[in-house]
Amino acid sequence: MSLEEFKNRNVGEQNYRLVDVGQTPQTGMEKFEQVVKRAVKLELFTGLKVTFREMFKALFGGQMHTTKYPFEKLPIAPRYRAIHEMKRLLESGHYRCIGCGLCEKICIANCIRMDTRYDENQRKEVSEYTINFGRCIFCGYCAEVCPELAIVHGGRYETASEQRASYSTFEDMLTPLDQLAQQSEFPGFGAVSDDADKKIKKTPLAY
Amino acid sequence: MDGYIIGTIIKAILVLAIISALAGFGTYLERKVLAFMQRRLGPMHVGPYGLLQLAADGIKLFTKEDFIPSGANRLIFMIAPIITAATAFIALAAVPLLPEFELFGVTVRPIVADLNIGILFVLGMMAAGLYGPLLAGMAQKNKWGLLGAARTAIQFLSYEVVTGLSILAPIMIVGSLSLIDFNNYQSEGIGSWLIWQQPVAFILFLIAGYAETNRTPFDLLEHEAEIVAGYATEYSGMRWGMFFIGEYANMITIGFLASIVFLGGFNSWGFIPGGLAIILKVSFFFFLMLWVRASWPHIRPDQLMWLCWKVLMPLAVINVTLTGLWMMV
Amino acid sequence: MSKKEITITIDGVECKTYEGEYVLNAARANGIFIPAICYLTRCSPTLACRICLVEADGKRVYACNAKAKDGMNIITENEEILEERRAIMEVYDVNHPLQCGVCDQHGECELQNYTLELEVDSQHFAIQDTKRETKNWSTVLHYDAGLCIVCERCVTVCKDMIGDSAIKTGPRGGPAVDKGYKESTPKDAYAMWNKLQKSIIIPSNGTEHTNCSDCGECTAVCPVGALTERDFVYKANPWELKNIPATCAHCSSGCHLYYETRFESIDNPKEVIFRVKNEWNYQSLCGAGRFGYDYENSDVTKDTEAFNKAVEALKKADTIRFNSTITNEEALMLQTLKEKLGIKLYNPEARAFQKFLNEYAKVSGKSLYPDDFKTIMQESDFVISLGSKLRNDNPNARYVFNNVQKMNKGAGIYFHPVGDTLVPTFGKSVETFEHKVGDEEAALYLILDLFADKSKLPSDVVDYLSSFHEERTKKIKEKVMEEVTEIVVDKESGKEKEVTKKVPKMVTKEVTYDHNLLVERLGGDAVNFEDTFAKMNKKKSNYALMVGEDLYFHPNYKNIIALIALVEQSCGMKLAMIPPKSNSLGVSLICDLDDECSGYVVGYNENGDFRLSALGDGDLDMPALNQQEGTMTTMNKRVVPTNAALEYGGYELNDLMNALGFGKRYTIDWTASLPVEKGFQAVCFDDLKDGFLNDGSEVRGYELTSISQDRVDFDVAKIDDNTLIEGEIAYRCNPQRQFNDFTNKAHQIFEAFALYASPARAKELGERVEVVFENGSLTLDVVEDDRMSGDIVEIPDFRSAEDVISLFGDRRYAKVTIKKV
Repeated sequence: MSLEEFKNRNVGEQNYRLVDVGQTPQTGMEKFEQVVKRAVKLELFTGLKVTFREMFKALFGGQMHTTKYPFEKLPIAPRYRAIHEMKRLLESGHYRCIGCGLCEKICIANCIRMDTRYDENQRKEVSEYTINFGRCIFCGYCAEVCPELAIVHGGRYETASEQRASYSTFEDMLTPLDQLAQQSEFPGFGAVSDDADKKIKKTPLAY
Repeated sequence: MDGYIIGTIIKAILVLAIISALAGFGTYLERKVLAFMQRRLGPMHVGPYGLLQLAADGIKLFTKEDFIPSGANRLIFMIAPIITAATAFIALAAVPLLPEFELFGVTVRPIVADLNIGILFVLGMMAAGLYGPLLAGMAQKNKWGLLGAARTAIQFLSYEVVTGLSILAPIMIVGSLSLIDFNNYQSEGIGSWLIWQQPVAFILFLIAGYAETNRTPFDLLEHEAEIVAGYATEYSGMRWGMFFIGEYANMITIGFLASIVFLGGFNSWGFIPGGLAIILKVSFFFFLMLWVRASWPHIRPDQLMWLCWKVLMPLAVINVTLTGLWMMV
Repeated sequence: MSKKEITITIDGVECKTYEGEYVLNAARANGIFIPAICYLTRCSPTLACRICLVEADGKRVYACNAKAKDGMNIITENEEILEERRAIMEVYDVNHPLQCGVCDQHGECELQNYTLELEVDSQHFAIQDTKRETKNWSTVLHYDAGLCIVCERCVTVCKDMIGDSAIKTGPRGGPAVDKGYKESTPKDAYAMWNKLQKSIIIPSNGTEHTNCSDCGECTAVCPVGALTERDFVYKANPWELKNIPATCAHCSSGCHLYYETRFESIDNPKEVIFRVKNEWNYQSLCGAGRFGYDYENSDVTKDTEAFNKAVEALKKADTIRFNSTITNEEALMLQTLKEKLGIKLYNPEARAFQKFLNEYAKVSGKSLYPDDFKTIMQESDFVISLGSKLRNDNPNARYVFNNVQKMNKGAGIYFHPVGDTLVPTFGKSVETFEHKVGDEEAALYLILDLFADKSKLPSDVVDYLSSFHEERTKKIKEKVMEEVTEIVVDKESGKEKEVTKKVPKMVTKEVTYDHNLLVERLGGDAVNFEDTFAKMNKKKSNYALMVGEDLYFHPNYKNIIALIALVEQSCGMKLAMIPPKSNSLGVSLICDLDDECSGYVVGYNENGDFRLSALGDGDLDMPALNQQEGTMTTMNKRVVPTNAALEYGGYELNDLMNALGFGKRYTIDWTASLPVEKGFQAVCFDDLKDGFLNDGSEVRGYELTSISQDRVDFDVAKIDDNTLIEGEIAYRCNPQRQFNDFTNKAHQIFEAFALYASPARAKELGERVEVVFENGSLTLDVVEDDRMSGDIVEIPDFRSAEDVISLFGDRRYAKVTIKKV
């Protein structure tokens, strides 16, 4: 689908056709006629037929649609916005987060908080970072605003907890160091677009 | 005489136990059938194929807190569900459930009380059942409950008329009010079933029966899209469960009535023995109710009234008149 | 300086302003925006950023240093100017780190703002970057040179406002700008870049560390994240902080500031103050204000038992001893207690000031001193400070003294017994007199002698003054041009030639001069003073006198007041007084103070038999001033509101008043009851405004009304030599940045409770000494203050528990014996 078609939201003019439902009966007689017509034509039984057919298909045609959720899981889209993940730099293994606080600022559910400090190497260090998943609405703004592609959405969508407030700490969300090799980029909100290089103007550098 | 009393008590207890168990099992069946018709699996986790779901629900209902809203009329609020359940089971007393059989040399008549006005008694008891939802709705001080109660009054009372008139024609033909007599009248095989003589009465009775048992498409009493849960809004736990059992018991009663009055009762049906035949028939009616629920939408209250007083009632009257004329001729 | 009102046109809008006002200020006052990075309202134009470029009558000028002339027509924006400004911003962005996320200024950064404002969307310039180190200049200053855009605002404010001149621009050591850019770059941008590429900010004393008063004003004015408070570095982002306007509680300046609060950390959700900000264009803070913010009385709950005991204590109290670090409302409550229960109120520092003010009112007919420091700063060009250790007593008075030198091409005379090496650096025309202790009368006579219109003086005073003048002779060396005739042999032609040359020659000459014995008495250079003063007094028209705490504690204070009143009458001088402590002016106006402290004493932040304390160490907790609403009276005679920045869970003084039956619903309900007959206004707290207008005018609270009363005729006495003290002398004076127990509690203020001495004296004294007073002694460490000179030692009084004020008695100087320990 091209962008033009995508942007055309005038759905009424597309492949839809009107069904002639006839006149709404006005008088009692007309209503009676309608009832008789429908009764004699056995329209009601069409409904019964449909449901019975579906049952038959489900039971004997192998068309049962249920996924037995905790035992079977459907694959989710790569851009799905579930529990957040904190990425690391692939080369050094250091976390990517620079503690700029933009996610904290943009969060409309106000569920992100971070502590930063001046560390021994004269850098800004994130000493703690929490998200309250009880409040998070998984809008994806934090991932979109993150300048370092550090906070992204992962695929873990099972978020039930015993309490309303459910905090995840920095440690919980960071890619474990031993799984650094499996760390993959998130293609969803905030990711670099494929044609990003074409869109930016280069800053001259004198080196 | 003593034997009669003991026998009757045993029968009453058996009916109560079996029918309530069936009512519970009915909920399982309903869920399964509805699920299949939507290509779902329905309850699957408790027991094999979710069979023990019934037990789980029972435990849940029994252990749930029984609370009464602060503004409610406590006594009536507590009694109302019992009325529903009680009337449903009392109605079954006059219904012959199976053909006679012999057990340890004793001839058992599987009817609690063979009244000579059986059918009137059954219909009367079911009509009395309307007090359950009516009082429940009025006692709970909840506007949804009150609306439910109002709907109960109009719906049950209106359709009582249709039930009565539609069944009048078969009564005229059979000449008895005892359900055993109805059964015996149709003992000559399929050809003698009353449905062939009274198809209109059968259809009217069935429609009215749905309305009486508060089943789709006439489940306006607790229409969840309009009035939350109607008369049952404030109920929970076992009290709500009694409404539920009452409704399913009524469904079974209607199934029995329809089978006995119109479809040859528990007479053996070709090679099928009478006992199995009636079970099959009742099962079909039960299934039909679920099937209808899966297929058809609700109707509006005004359509319900219109249907009752302007279509079904006149049809029933005409049917009775024509039957009378036919019998005179 | 009477300013002539003129009209100029800026972008077609007619604006009223004053002759000689800078165009930028005129535009700002009239709500017209001209971008400017390096300009600071009350300082001299730096001309570093050149971004305020405008067109005035067709010529390109810089709005920050172009003076408005009547009928001037200014265009703030046209294509050419915008191109120039954009290029300037691009140049600023060259090699500026792009990790805005980690920068502390992120979100309130002027570089960010102007880059966006001027729509810089691409970079045309490049130069090799230079490694610039991050440095900690002092215990509180953090400089990240990598972020610095060398706008020199910090340098300017330190020089023109603060007076420390502790930082300057130094060499950056980077490559020079490629000449190839000259063609393609707009003129101003290229010039600015050349300068930028050469410089960086360094401490001006040539070391790695600044030698300054650690006021942190440079961090406030820094438009980018280069200069920050060390404690705040990378701790929080500006947008998370809640901004609470308040009044600084530490000294009598009553500076306007904002407490910025946030939850402490993820583990501790308690709200705490993270830093202090100020309206640096209109109000400069000192180190105590900026860094002494975390003095709150935290984790206090309502302790009913202690409260009941406090109520009992107040019922049986004979005296309430308190200090001036309280609000006007609390002072009024204490006064109510005095009226209802007859409790004596004891506050020695405010009492001295009160007596001084009362005496002043008698002789001048005015209940308050006539002028404030703000007007002095704006208008005066000759300022005299008497009786105040400017550097320590009141930072804002010092800023005024300094700013007058720098901005008004002013001159100044500083009288004080304790030598100070900083004051003379404020300007070339600053004369300091290290006079004898207690010789302030002589100083006032000198002022009369120098500035008074003799016709307005009583004849005996004129005679007395002339008795100090003697005609003496002195030898001076003079340069004389002498004609010398020489015979020179021309090398080429070999001819002899007679050449006449003028050769300078030093000649010693004897001249007569007017020898001023008063100058000599005050320790000045009497021989050359006549000439020096003539130079200082050139083109001066607007004189001001600031007097300080020493005078309030002077035994002859009555005569001093008479002299001051005489100075005011005869010299046409502005007069302002520095109240000794935070709210001394308010307390002395509101409370009816007593001279002695006796019986059962309830101390409020002071020693007593029962202690109410906001320091967390008393018998009943009280809220500190950053946890209270209320008003303060500043030395500028304004009643200004302050707000509660932090929560307080305990009891307040008003609760005690309620328990005693005199209370009101809230503390701030007392505001409208402040005594109108003393110059306050019956205004509700919530109706008080706060803040500054665009043209710099202060709209905080209201100004006290000076109440006129009948004047009493007075005579001035001659100089009383009995008041002089000689020998080993201690001076009651706090170190810079320390004012009271609250500043002492703040974690970023490190100045110790110790004996301060000049480097030479400190060496003599060793590490630790015992100072023996007439009625007690103190054992203190010796700390060297390299800006002090002379032999007098300073002993601080900021710890109320030590009760230093009582040791000194009713003078600020005491004769002591110092023993090494």
